[in-house]
Amino acid sequence: MNVREPQRNNVVSQSLAQIGACGLFLLTLLAAVPRSFRYVRETIRQLWFVGAMSLTIIMVCGLFVGMVLMLQLYHVLSIFGGTSASGMVVALSVYRELGPVVTALLFAGRAGTSITAEIGLMRATDQIDAMEMMAVDPIAYVATPRFLAGLIAMPLLCCVFCAMAIFGGHLVGVTWLGVDNGTFWSNMTAQVDVRTDIVNGVLLKSLAFGAVVSLIAVFQGFTTPPTSEGVAYATTRTVVASSIAILALDFVLTAFLM
Amino acid sequence: MTEPVRTTPDDPALVRIRGLTTVLNGKTIFDALDLDIPRGKVTAIMGPSGTGKTTLLKHITGQMRADAGEIRVNGENVAELSREQLYKLREGIGYLFQNSALLTDFDVFENVAFPLRQHTKLPEVLIRDLVLLKLQAVGLRGAARLTPNELSGGMARRVALARAIVFDPMLILYDEPFVGLDPVALNQVLKLIRTLNQTLGITSVLVAHELAAVQRVADHVFLIANGKVVAQGDPKTIANDGSAWTRQFFGGEADGPVPFQYPAGDLAQALGFAGAAK
Repeated sequence: MNVREPQRNNVVSQSLAQIGACGLFLLTLLAAVPRSFRYVRETIRQLWFVGAMSLTIIMVCGLFVGMVLMLQLYHVLSIFGGTSASGMVVALSVYRELGPVVTALLFAGRAGTSITAEIGLMRATDQIDAMEMMAVDPIAYVATPRFLAGLIAMPLLCCVFCAMAIFGGHLVGVTWLGVDNGTFWSNMTAQVDVRTDIVNGVLLKSLAFGAVVSLIAVFQGFTTPPTSEGVAYATTRTVVASSIAILALDFVLTAFLM
Repeated sequence: MTEPVRTTPDDPALVRIRGLTTVLNGKTIFDALDLDIPRGKVTAIMGPSGTGKTTLLKHITGQMRADAGEIRVNGENVAELSREQLYKLREGIGYLFQNSALLTDFDVFENVAFPLRQHTKLPEVLIRDLVLLKLQAVGLRGAARLTPNELSGGMARRVALARAIVFDPMLILYDEPFVGLDPVALNQVLKLIRTLNQTLGITSVLVAHELAAVQRVADHVFLIANGKVVAQGDPKTIANDGSAWTRQFFGGEADGPVPFQYPAGDLAQALGFAGAAK
């Protein structure tokens, strides 16, 4: 008991210290935003890397999520004779929860890890120090463009994910299972509210998730010990911390936005 | 009390260090170190591993703050500079990293052009000419479109040198520039350091262990150990000054003022032979 207590305190205090340090890093990032405007080309390059390069995984996963969702819903709703509502339920599930959350989890796994690994390796090979020595601010040149790119890319990727999921639902429901095409679309358009479901559900949530994932990825990259083991741990921490933060933040946002 | 340093741009010393004290993880790296780096000369900083030679370079560039003491570069107190002022000072300092630290996203040309693109609004044609001239100086104009992972260690070091001199700095700091170089590359790097010093009047500070190479290129040598300058002078004669420090370091002796063994307990006890020894 006496032996375990200090360890537990250590983990708690370390976690709190990490959260505090991450908060301070966010303030540094935000302060560097005006200075990073001169590196617009770097931000666009990162937008391509974290956004455009993530499109394939987002589109494929969106398609399958929509397909499997429709398959499950159709069988459940058919028990009550409510298959005509399946398109609407798929759309609401995707817009309100699955779209932003699954996109953010995929984004953390695909783009977040690569941001952390890239910055970590830049630190390990003295590239960050070299920038400092060339009088180039690494926060403005390296960290902020990646953070802003994540912030911009996430809502766009989420929109693509949602579109592909609806397409997947349509493919299974209308083409395969025989749901009426007109009913599928009319029920969906009648029940989906632009402000509640699209603005709050898709855009606001994905913007918040994009900020959190990008912040964690950049923070872990900058604070990792400059060793191969350190970079490996930091990459893992990015996925773990991002996943927990996404799901916790999803609960908080849903509670406030419902 | 540390004496105030009065370095001005026409001072014969470009860098003046007074009373530098640094403690890292409970270990005293520098203990009231005093050191002057003469303007327009090649100065070598030597000493056993772990004595803080690279740390000294980081103090000069303001990458690391000292616990006490004062460092003036071209008359400016590094510790008192704001971030903008420090960056302005660094534009006049070239730094050659031990592992070259080339930006892996860019090819050789873009690595050398990077400082120009960040700090000037020169037309593209002028940037191209400047970069090619610097690459020509290090013998790598033909490698302009290679990526850093296509370069050998020696080539990467020379590209990093071209990048360090692209602004014609007043001061270049070389961190272990001779490590891992074959005799041909070593010869070329030695010639480059000397040529840059003579033709552009650049003050050079190099951290190195290789006495033979240092003797060929340096004008002045400082030997640092136990946080202080223990010997200094002309590279041809410093090795023969007869002190215990120089005898051990330049003679490569295990026994001397600097212990070869990291502090540890009794070996026999560690191996479990303590009883047998009785």
